[in-house]
Amino acid sequence: MTVAIGIVQALFLVLAAPLLKGIVGRVKARFQNRQGASVWRSYADLLKLFRKEDLVPPSASWVFRATPRIVFAVIVSAAAFIPVFQSSALLGLKGDFILFVYLLAIGRFFLMLGAMDGGSAFGGMGASRDALVSTLAEGPLLLAFVAISILAHSTKIVGIVQWTLGQNFFDISAVHILAFTTLGIVALAEAGRMPVDNPSTHLELTMIHEGMVLEYSGPSLALIEWANAIRLNVLLALLIALFAPWGMATEITWGALGLALGAHLVKLLLLGVLIAVIESSVAKLRMYLVPDFLGVATALSVLAVIFTMIAKR
Amino acid sequence: MTVWQATFWTFLVLLGLAVPLTQLGRRSKTVRAFGIFLLLLGTLAGLSVASKCLWQGIPVSIVLPSIASFTVSLTIDRLSALFLFLICSVSLPVVTYSTSYIAHHYEAGKARWMWALLSLFVLSMAVVVTSSTGFAFLVGWELMTLVSAGLILVEGDSKGRIDNVFIYLLMMHVGAAAVVASFFLYWPFAHGLEFASIRSASANLSAGARTAIFLLTFVGFGTKAGIIPFHLWLPRAHPIAPSPVSALMSGVMLKTAIYGFVRFGFDFLGGGPSWWGYLVLMAGAVSGLLGVLFAIAEHDLKRLLAYHSVENIGIIYLGLGSSLLFLANNAPQWAGLALIAALLHSLNHALFKSLLFLGAGAISHSTHTLDLEEHGGLLRRMPITGAAFLVGCCSIIALPLFNGFISEWLTFQSFLQGSTLSHSAAQIVLPLMVGVLALIGGLAAACFIKVYGAAFLGRPRSSEAADAAEAPFTMQMGMVLLAAGCVMLGIFPLPVLLTLAHLAQHLVPGSSMPDEIYSISSVIPWIAVTLLILLVVLFAARRARRTAATWACGLPSLGSRMQYSASAFSKPLRMVFARVYQADRKIETLPEDQTYFPSSVSYRSVRTTSFEKSFYRPAVERVVELAHWLRLLQTGNIQVYLLYIFLTLVGLLMYLRFQL
Repeated sequence: MTVAIGIVQALFLVLAAPLLKGIVGRVKARFQNRQGASVWRSYADLLKLFRKEDLVPPSASWVFRATPRIVFAVIVSAAAFIPVFQSSALLGLKGDFILFVYLLAIGRFFLMLGAMDGGSAFGGMGASRDALVSTLAEGPLLLAFVAISILAHSTKIVGIVQWTLGQNFFDISAVHILAFTTLGIVALAEAGRMPVDNPSTHLELTMIHEGMVLEYSGPSLALIEWANAIRLNVLLALLIALFAPWGMATEITWGALGLALGAHLVKLLLLGVLIAVIESSVAKLRMYLVPDFLGVATALSVLAVIFTMIAKR
Repeated sequence: MTVWQATFWTFLVLLGLAVPLTQLGRRSKTVRAFGIFLLLLGTLAGLSVASKCLWQGIPVSIVLPSIASFTVSLTIDRLSALFLFLICSVSLPVVTYSTSYIAHHYEAGKARWMWALLSLFVLSMAVVVTSSTGFAFLVGWELMTLVSAGLILVEGDSKGRIDNVFIYLLMMHVGAAAVVASFFLYWPFAHGLEFASIRSASANLSAGARTAIFLLTFVGFGTKAGIIPFHLWLPRAHPIAPSPVSALMSGVMLKTAIYGFVRFGFDFLGGGPSWWGYLVLMAGAVSGLLGVLFAIAEHDLKRLLAYHSVENIGIIYLGLGSSLLFLANNAPQWAGLALIAALLHSLNHALFKSLLFLGAGAISHSTHTLDLEEHGGLLRRMPITGAAFLVGCCSIIALPLFNGFISEWLTFQSFLQGSTLSHSAAQIVLPLMVGVLALIGGLAAACFIKVYGAAFLGRPRSSEAADAAEAPFTMQMGMVLLAAGCVMLGIFPLPVLLTLAHLAQHLVPGSSMPDEIYSISSVIPWIAVTLLILLVVLFAARRARRTAATWACGLPSLGSRMQYSASAFSKPLRMVFARVYQADRKIETLPEDQTYFPSSVSYRSVRTTSFEKSFYRPAVERVVELAHWLRLLQTGNIQVYLLYIFLTLVGLLMYLRFQL
């Protein structure tokens, strides 16, 4: 049963991802006084792309063609680490946060290689910028995890979630606030959202992620776009699981699971709206201000680790 | 004599025979081929005896005839076995690779020297890690340095090359002096400098002597390992060596320094006060960060790889430092874990770094250049080399399913355990090191995306790259063997981890088998299976595909110079870390009086690392100044020298008179 729910969880993270993207887009449209597209449009987009043919640049090698599949496969297996409805996951019992972070790195590595393989200027440009952002995001990401794992006495994602479930919401320490802020900033950077990257830009001067995938078309583009949506969904689910897992089913009954689903959707919706608010109210940072932005995250995460010495019980 | 002693003898004799056979096979190619065959056979024998000792932990030792009053004996205990295993497992593919590399690159005379010195180089490294007396160790140590310098000089003897070799030899001898000194501090306590008596003497040493020995080994072995600030020789010597030799120097020779440091720090001294740990940890962090930052700015592939050796030695030192720190805080359990991480990273680095150096050799074989800005699109032209090189890149940046990940993961875990040390600053310092290692990892990833993207992907940037052809078969085979090793260790690390855990238990008394090695070994295969299934499904779905030229903004087609170059790729990171580089930029306009209408403008940007400016320059100047003063003694006049002799004689006589 636990395994079955684990599979359902992973499928939820994979299949609901385009919907989340649609909802964020819709809320953003409302902020801009527009009607906005239907929340289901992302699915229609993916379907349309899957029906088209792949166009491959003449200079591209197998790395270019394999990249979308590798990126998608990696993010789906990373989704199997995250507890959503219950406090366990398919690979969560053995998989710790270092493995999770480095799995995401496989996807980024190949995405950048694929971009360089296109042989045009934009791919390399996007890859170079993404290399800067992801390099500087790596430190704070792991340090924030370190802080909460010291408190929870576990490096396994599931272990941390189970420990947090046993805590009282009002006992939340400064470490959690610092770590949450850090992970929030890093999640925005990793998922390529404002103010680090503008997901809806089509101007080459501002592109990071869009620049990298410019050469992809058809099913390849669909896989990459889908993987990108899953990445946002997984990161938000991770934030929820680490910092506000209350509501997760502790025993397996239909009632508890229903409640867990409802609670997760409400929390996800809140975070989605928060992202839409941030993206509508903040301008994209200049490229060379991004290191400062991530520097703030690094400072916060270092503080979080130092505070664990005081907060440790 | 047991079977295993016989195997060990066979190993030494075969390698020893290979030296004259490959050199003296002047007329007959068959004799030389037979010598190479003996070399291969020898490494196989070494591999088998090393695996046996590593697995069972029963030392195999042989005693050679003693020279004067110095006994020479070789013993393979578990620690030696690990490093002997490392030497043989890298030498085997490197020798395979060399068979066609040397044949293609050198005329017969030089080729003979290459083979003879190569065999001697492997033999000297084997002697270093297996010797069980100080004398044998030092002989091997010196031989290793000289032979590697010889191998660099076989390639050519231009002025620049000789300068670099001079710096290499000079720094190696400063390091060797420190190593000799640390052995001789044991002289009053340990008879004959046998390792067994050194080990038992260590307990009786005074605190001051222990500190002196530790600092001397830190400097001596640190110079060989190339930790910053003693790294100066490394990016000079490695790039100018022939590629198989660079692979051996970077992959294997640096590890003999790790071996020496572990032998002294853990086996002889058994750890020390906390500041030892902090010192090693800081050296590791500085070497790791600066090494990778210097690498990012390099576009000469082999020099870039040499800087990455500095970085990876830094990661190994991070593990060793945290192990010493745990030892000082009475946490042998975690000291063992950190030591496992450091030793495994030594083995991993040997595999992937020699793979990458061999790959660089294959690239220069096919394109005749190591400049990344002249490569591009090589994956389509050199598919096997490209695939093997990709495995090397994935391993060095520690992607899961590749071997580098396992050792970095263990290093991360040992840092995390630092939080259990209450009442010590290490409680905070070690967890914060996670951030440092993460930054090093991120920068290394960026650097290898640059390398792989610029060299193997996209369009060729020069006609040489466009006409590149795949390397000869044995060169491919050498690389594929190493790549297979990286993947095997990355997916099924348990057997190696178990033997390393036994070794750590032997070196760190009181440590137990850590759970971490089981947890990582059980989860990685699952990830591999999950990814494999997903990829098979995704690749099975067939889709329509068409080759279409990229839109070139209305121009006829995209040119290769329109791609991002390697220096453009690394520019954002270089700008963020501009402090580290301190480039000297010079713009010269000619003629000087016409700044607005110059006939030519030249731009030069030179990076001299701040160590050269602020650390080595003043030291060299001081020495030269001293030498000038000493020159006053050297008049060249024979009467004056006779006066010196007379004065010395008088002085000695006076000394004896008043002494008695």
